Amino acid sequence: MQYHKPKNNFEVTELLNTFKNDAQIFAGGTDILVEARYNKKNLKENWIDISGISGLKQIKEIKKQISIGPMVTHSEIIRNDMIKQHAPLLAEACRVIGSLQIRNRGTIGGNICNASPCADSIPALVVLDTQLVIDSSSGEQVLPISDFFIKPYMTILKPGRWLKEIRIMKMKAENKFAFLKLSRRNALAISRMNFAVILQIAWDNTIESVQFAPGSIFPIWRRVTKAEEFMLGKRISMELFQEAGKIVADSMIKESGRRWSTPYKEPVVAALTARVLAKAAGLD
Amino acid sequence: MNKHQIIGSRQKRVDALGKVTGAAKYAADYNLPFQLFGAVKYAEYPHAIIKAIDTTRAEKLPGVTAVLTYRDVPGKNHFGLIPNIRILADDKTRYLGDVVAVVAAENIKIAHEAVNMIRIEYKELPAVFDPEEALKLDAVKLYDEGNQIVHHKVRKGDIAEGFHQADFIIENKYTTQAIEHAYLEPEAALAMPDEQDGFKIIGCMQNFYSSHKVIAAALNKPLSKVQIIQSTMGGSFGGKDESATLVAVRAALLAQRTNRPVKIVNSREDSFRQSYKRHPYKLYYKWGCKKDGTITAMEIKIIADGGAYCSMSPFVTWRSVVQATGPYYCPNVQTDVYAAYTNNNFTGAMRGFGSPQVNFAIESMMDELAEQVGKSPLEIRLLNGFEHNAITATGQKLDHYVSLKDVLKTSAEETNFERHWEENKNNQQKGKDIVKGIGLACAYRGVSLGAEGVDAPSSIVYVQPDGSVSLSSGIIDMGQGARTAMSQIAAEVLGLPLSRINFQEADSGRVADSGATVASRGTIMGGGAMKIAAENVRKIMEQTAREKFNIQKEDFIFKDENIFIRQNRNMKQLCSFNFLVNACYQSGRPLFASGVRKIDVTSWDEESGQGDAYFTFVYGANIAEVVVDLTSGKVNVTRFLSTHDVGKAVNKSMVEGQIYGGVSMGMGYGLMEEFVQESGKAKTLNFDEYYIPTAVDMPNMKIIIIENEDKFGPFGAKSIGEPALEIVAPAIINAIYNATGKRIQNLPANLEEVLLGHKLHRNIERGSVSCKIES
Repeated sequence: MQYHKPKNNFEVTELLNTFKNDAQIFAGGTDILVEARYNKKNLKENWIDISGISGLKQIKEIKKQISIGPMVTHSEIIRNDMIKQHAPLLAEACRVIGSLQIRNRGTIGGNICNASPCADSIPALVVLDTQLVIDSSSGEQVLPISDFFIKPYMTILKPGRWLKEIRIMKMKAENKFAFLKLSRRNALAISRMNFAVILQIAWDNTIESVQFAPGSIFPIWRRVTKAEEFMLGKRISMELFQEAGKIVADSMIKESGRRWSTPYKEPVVAALTARVLAKAAGLD
Repeated sequence: MNKHQIIGSRQKRVDALGKVTGAAKYAADYNLPFQLFGAVKYAEYPHAIIKAIDTTRAEKLPGVTAVLTYRDVPGKNHFGLIPNIRILADDKTRYLGDVVAVVAAENIKIAHEAVNMIRIEYKELPAVFDPEEALKLDAVKLYDEGNQIVHHKVRKGDIAEGFHQADFIIENKYTTQAIEHAYLEPEAALAMPDEQDGFKIIGCMQNFYSSHKVIAAALNKPLSKVQIIQSTMGGSFGGKDESATLVAVRAALLAQRTNRPVKIVNSREDSFRQSYKRHPYKLYYKWGCKKDGTITAMEIKIIADGGAYCSMSPFVTWRSVVQATGPYYCPNVQTDVYAAYTNNNFTGAMRGFGSPQVNFAIESMMDELAEQVGKSPLEIRLLNGFEHNAITATGQKLDHYVSLKDVLKTSAEETNFERHWEENKNNQQKGKDIVKGIGLACAYRGVSLGAEGVDAPSSIVYVQPDGSVSLSSGIIDMGQGARTAMSQIAAEVLGLPLSRINFQEADSGRVADSGATVASRGTIMGGGAMKIAAENVRKIMEQTAREKFNIQKEDFIFKDENIFIRQNRNMKQLCSFNFLVNACYQSGRPLFASGVRKIDVTSWDEESGQGDAYFTFVYGANIAEVVVDLTSGKVNVTRFLSTHDVGKAVNKSMVEGQIYGGVSMGMGYGLMEEFVQESGKAKTLNFDEYYIPTAVDMPNMKIIIIENEDKFGPFGAKSIGEPALEIVAPAIINAIYNATGKRIQNLPANLEEVLLGHKLHRNIERGSVSCKIES
């Protein structure tokens, strides 16, 4: 194994180009170091540690967006004032990741690129209309996060490309939001399922806009537009949210089929969808 | 006022400094020049005949110094209570944790490479994974003698008459799961040839006297040529008996073959794969009851999964048969407990030792009985619970102070149990998603080994010429605090501060065979031996004092590093402790003594299941408060009260430590832990998937220590290690019922069990390792 520590973005791209298929970005290491104990054959020979590049650790405001460097840790996101003010949903999602030690080491970029279906930050990023900036020798490419994933643990990143920046849309002050995670214990737990939602509720209690994305439910993350459209323009109520929950559960079965876990997941996805929506709308 | 100087006070652990600074050396921390590393070749089928083993390629790999199979064991390859545990699999493989060959190499990487070059030819056999199936006549046999390991019985009164007298019958089936001990430190050992054709083994063995015998027999050496040195241990909970012996003896065999030090360190995956678990039980309970809430008959049948080998199954199930009816009066009892071999991981000792399973069933039954006769869980237990001089199901008269009702009443008052229980029950129908419940469980527990074994541990005390004191005991410290408790006992007898005392971990050449540190017998038995040893040293000092000061008076007081005599109603200082120590050595009386604590008042008749099973019992009650999310089945334990009569708390802080840990472990058993095997294959091999409770899962805990000193214990002390854990799960399960009206009959009460009433087990291999998803 070869360890490289580039000093700037240019060197990252250069190293990736040099080693092509045999290179791997090393961010916080919370996934790759565990992986290294087991699936040695899946590991690449060249580890490129990007922790020495200070530019990748910044959080800054760019007009209607907030730019987050891929090396920003979950703990830094939770503590950051700009995030607290403009994207509190993301802070809430990051708060339930792993344990304090994992949150101190693990990075937002790593969470995205590892593409584990149970990643807690991703549903929040999906509803925040996140854009990802991909760098390579042929220049930058900006794409929505929903186009980034192919399947669990697989992204569109080809050799020579890497995630350089994450841009999330600022939430509006009047946005309502909620994040919910279900797991078998209260810390250091892999999500059984998780949910992120942003709601805009009009003066007459009807839903003006809604972004809703679950995790561990579909093969890849996406908003459940069918449920969103169903709710649009309707008055908030427990009944409405329960209906929306059923739509989400139905979509899950339609896409993923019936599995060993379906007898449990079907009712629980429906009920917890309703709960997270109610929580956001202040009905709980 | 405390009648003792140091017993009963809160003392810091004597080994705290080494542990917090990292100076403490665990087995894996030891290294020697020229040491080799061992690795194991696992069985590839849970049940197969081994036809041939080809190690030639592995042996030729550069850096490999030895590859051993069963043929290379110079002495005995089998050991155990029924000696069928294989150090290296010979005739067959019986579970997937069996080891067929073991390799020593210059480094661990080469050792693993060599392991992968070993080829084994098998004839695969049909396997059996269910103990009930295994007991059927046409079942596949693991051994020629059949699959039944043991059948224990208790017979009391007339069971048919008992059911005849009953107004109604309650009949239920309960199941419990296999769980992992989850000690922080996986098994490890370093074995080395010594200078005189013998061997030294440093390891983390809970039962190092047994390890000693197994290793000597395997190496074909006398016991005196094999020295076991106990390293500081990172937890055991009953788990480092045979599992740790296996690691140590394989290292020793490699050291003998190579004539070099050999170290084997289990990875967490090795530990999960090889080690024995808690016995899964199937429990069939049938009670005949009267409308007034009394019980006329109990018919109980239990089948335990013993797995591939006979570890402690006969003893574990014996405790179950003794305690299967709980601390409750019942004139007619018929209990049958079976253990059977299967091709699962073998099962053995684990904190609780056959009681957590039966307590879950008993305490669930008791709550159901309460409901049927319109009483509260407290009322029904006070109605049926043992009192002073009660006769147990095995015909034993409880002539010690029976504090069952004290612990029950104290717990109920402290928590306002009955009011909360009533309120929660009434709230069940209100259609809420999140509901609250409170649950009660109690138990009695026989202390120490009981009639299952010889109970006579040793301790030694050596007051050195400078007045500092070295102690050792055949009872070891695996984290529970034996070093501190023993030091306090010796300090009390000698009137010294703890700072003068140094507890040294025993080795097999220093303290006589004391049996295992199990059965919550550390303080009551090992501590008892320590008290006797210290008193023996003190007798030498008193004799010297009489001569030196020419006094006949025998009433000496050892206090504050001085020796006093009683004069009228006052104490008169005679001399300092050190002065007397010096006088002893000057007069040719070295201050070295051992003590043996032997209690043999127990009895047992195998046929009728009658006898004085244990010389004394402890009593405890637990109350759990839970919040259940009805939409997901998630249970959070919000508050927990644990009340125990410990006889006498030698050190309150350590008693509390045992209880906090016991509650955590019991919560894992009740709510989330399960070692799942599919066709013998473990589905969880590390803590990323095998969940134990974290600090964030723990409730607010309150502890009440009740002290009724027992005549058998040093300063009246009894036990807490296992009592702390054994009723946590049923208290939680009863609380879930109080919240939801749904009775959990299969442990653990995980998400699926609570929501659906049964388990769901995934049937697919998962993608990644670091963050595996449950689809």
